[in-house]
Amino acid sequence: MRRKGALPLIFFVVFTLGTLTWTFLVGNSPVLGLDLQGGVSVVLQPNGPVENEDTLDQAVDIIRNRIDALGVAEPDITRQGETVLVQLPGVENQDRALELVGQTAVLRFRPVLQVLPPVGDTPTTSAPTTTAGDGATTTTVAPTTTAAGAGEQGLADLGGLTPGENAAGLQATTTTVAPSTTAAPGTASTATTVPAGTAAGECTGVEDTTRLGDDGLPVRLNAEGLTPRRRDEACNTVLLGERDEDGNVVTRYLLGPTALTGDALSGASAGLDQSGVTWLVRPTFKSGENGIDKFNAVAAECFSAATTCPTTQLAIVLDSDVISAPRIQTDNFERDQIQITGDFDESSAKDLALVLEYGALPVELVPQQTQTVSATLGEDSLRAGLIAGLIGLGLTVIFMVGYYRLLGVVAVASLTLEFALVWVLISYLGESRGLALTLAGVTGLIVSIGISVDSNVVFYEHLKEDVRNGRTFRSTVERSFGSSFTTIIKADIASLIGAVLLYLLSVGPVRGFALLLGISTVIDLIATWFFIRPAVLMLARSPRLRNNNAALGMPNVKATA
Amino acid sequence: MSAIGDTAAESGPSGLRANLRSLYQCTNDFDFTRLFKRGLVIALLVSVISIVSLFTRGLNLGIDFKGGSVWEVPVSEVSVDDARGVMEGLSLGDAKIQLAVNADGTKILRVQSDVDEVDASREVTQALADLAAIPPSEVAVTTVGPSWGNEITRQAQRALIYFFIAITLYISFRLEWKMAVGALVSMVHDLLLSVGVYSILQIEVTPATLISFLTILGYSLYDTIVVFDRALENSARTVAKTPYRVIMNRTLNQTLMRSVNTTVATILPIISLLVFGALLLGAQTLEEFGLALLVGLTSGAYSSLFVAAPIVSMLKEREPKFAYTGEPAVTVATAATGGAPPRPARRGTPRRPATPAAPVGAIPPRPRKSKKRK
Repeated sequence: MRRKGALPLIFFVVFTLGTLTWTFLVGNSPVLGLDLQGGVSVVLQPNGPVENEDTLDQAVDIIRNRIDALGVAEPDITRQGETVLVQLPGVENQDRALELVGQTAVLRFRPVLQVLPPVGDTPTTSAPTTTAGDGATTTTVAPTTTAAGAGEQGLADLGGLTPGENAAGLQATTTTVAPSTTAAPGTASTATTVPAGTAAGECTGVEDTTRLGDDGLPVRLNAEGLTPRRRDEACNTVLLGERDEDGNVVTRYLLGPTALTGDALSGASAGLDQSGVTWLVRPTFKSGENGIDKFNAVAAECFSAATTCPTTQLAIVLDSDVISAPRIQTDNFERDQIQITGDFDESSAKDLALVLEYGALPVELVPQQTQTVSATLGEDSLRAGLIAGLIGLGLTVIFMVGYYRLLGVVAVASLTLEFALVWVLISYLGESRGLALTLAGVTGLIVSIGISVDSNVVFYEHLKEDVRNGRTFRSTVERSFGSSFTTIIKADIASLIGAVLLYLLSVGPVRGFALLLGISTVIDLIATWFFIRPAVLMLARSPRLRNNNAALGMPNVKATA
Repeated sequence: MSAIGDTAAESGPSGLRANLRSLYQCTNDFDFTRLFKRGLVIALLVSVISIVSLFTRGLNLGIDFKGGSVWEVPVSEVSVDDARGVMEGLSLGDAKIQLAVNADGTKILRVQSDVDEVDASREVTQALADLAAIPPSEVAVTTVGPSWGNEITRQAQRALIYFFIAITLYISFRLEWKMAVGALVSMVHDLLLSVGVYSILQIEVTPATLISFLTILGYSLYDTIVVFDRALENSARTVAKTPYRVIMNRTLNQTLMRSVNTTVATILPIISLLVFGALLLGAQTLEEFGLALLVGLTSGAYSSLFVAAPIVSMLKEREPKFAYTGEPAVTVATAATGGAPPRPARRGTPRRPATPAAPVGAIPPRPRKSKKRK
């Protein structure tokens, strides 16, 4: 059988089986998309035009860091044009992931001018300068020492809560040392509307005092007695709230112009104190005038209870929500010797550290589509897709073999090999590039069965026609193939154009679909040339099949004229 | 060439069986040209109906286009009324609520509402999870912001326009610009028809539907290109002055079986998707894909025969060589039938015999080299 054509066929079969074996040996298997294994997917888009492409890349990096810190197994964070697609397959705590991804807010530090109760409460403490801590946060400072006693100090200070202050849920945070805060970032919720303006949220202008009433409070307040989010501008005096886990305002703060932003921070970490029991958060500021100097400047003001910071508290504001307002207890900090203590558990401490480290994105991203798929539903879809695919494949096999007989068997063999190759390829891409197989992709595969069969049909019909016209099967294989193959190429290229355009111009599931369609089309071209052609040639040369047109599904013509 | 005489004799008995047999044996000789006009009129009519429906009824857009949320909750004892109660408690009384039962007996509660903010949607998730007594993480939620729909619509339109341009250029380059026109018109027809079906039946349009529409165009194009490629080959082989519709008719007969078989082979997996995947196993996405594909494939097969082919014939007959002079058109079953007796036009077109393009006789087929070679 060492004839022309046998070599490519053997090569193709060996290659396919070889790579397939390799795939199994290495243990590669397709990575399932989150619609098949459950997880969270968020589509984010910048709010407004993006001036600089780099800022988007930066935002993607920040989000990736946040996700990595969350410990997600195979996060997929990609930028597609101006859209950022975040996919977190297998994430169990979906709400938490959504919060962290969605938190695109601006992190600001503002001096507290006045502490007010939430609207609805009788204003028992509306005195301009609420001293002695409002209970929300008590800050003890052990400036340059990370002091073992710091935590105790902070806790001790708890006793100094002002009587009469409604401290519902507030003692949750006792802040020892320096800046910052507590409160699960969840309370800040997802980024929705943050004021436009400087991306970093810095105050670069002058305060617009016309917005303040005679009592020194902003004139325009919403139903909760707060400055509406869209009016939360960096340079103005605003009235913002601290919320509990249910999103209810527990304390309102009158805040001065932004002193510094999250940009001043270079990082933050969560850890245990020296006793190994209490969780705390250690923020680190950048050195120099854009970092610790700025912080120390405002810390000094607050420490001395200057008019710009009469309460000695410095509020940490994320996305127009006060996360905490610790009291500053010294006027000079070392940039990396600061710690925030409080009633943290591991999770809340880590969340806070994440928010501090990655709080401010260079561009505001708004979630456009969020999708949560439970693992059970995902499995069901996968099973449905597989079963439907196999049944469809079975029907096609029956049809092809019934109609084309031996040639149909060749078609089925080719289909099987093509499928093996696609499997190898998506397994490989899944392991090396994180390509995930989604339900849309599975559908693309099922659809490509049709495309693959099409190539066979074009060729076989051409064969039949030639045989009908008096040629022998044997003599016409090469000729029919040549003419069919040009047709197949023309048609396949048209399909490829469609697949490539879809891939380039779309987002999310459409891309997965287009990619698998494209892959299958290319593999189909290869298989047609390297498998179908030699295989049919071999059939044609087989002496046993000579003059046995019925076995080949050919018209019943004695072509010996 | 006695062999052919034999076959012709064999396929003597008329009727459906004979027709099928002729198809299998590649001796089919239908007169498509008679149907060209009718085919175009029907296509035009369907397109107009689709457009009218699009403007009057519009499309039933899914939440991905208009914003909103969908929750899918695995439940055991919960009824639609229970869920309705929960939604009304959240002042979302107008939510759409369905209860689907999977093949394995598990039930899925599907709730759809216009909540387009993540926070608000989380509240509903919690409430529904409480109702079903499961942790919230078991609930599948999709929330789409209000402006996202415009974005994907814009993307789809852009993809479509680029696709049309690229394909037109490609066909003009590889085949002929007249064929590009035919392919373009037939693709627009397929698109209109598919969208029209969705508009008339008010089936929900989702991103999966969009994907399917684009795939449909691909299939329709594949079909059309196979036909056109053959027509090009046939007309290059034609030396004498021949009306193009004759060449086209021969081409269509030659490629008919390919179209039929391809469509069957493609539709089988899709029907399987619809029947087994969507109906029995309740996978929503599969259903969304499958339905549009089924409609589109059928329309694509039709438009290759009765939209693309007639248009190209009309365009080509403006060229002197292929002009239709009103003289009896001619059908030829296969290019090399040589002395085969002209067969009468077969069934399929008996209704309106007065069509001007009545087929008679046979054009002299160009003898093939094969005869000498043998």
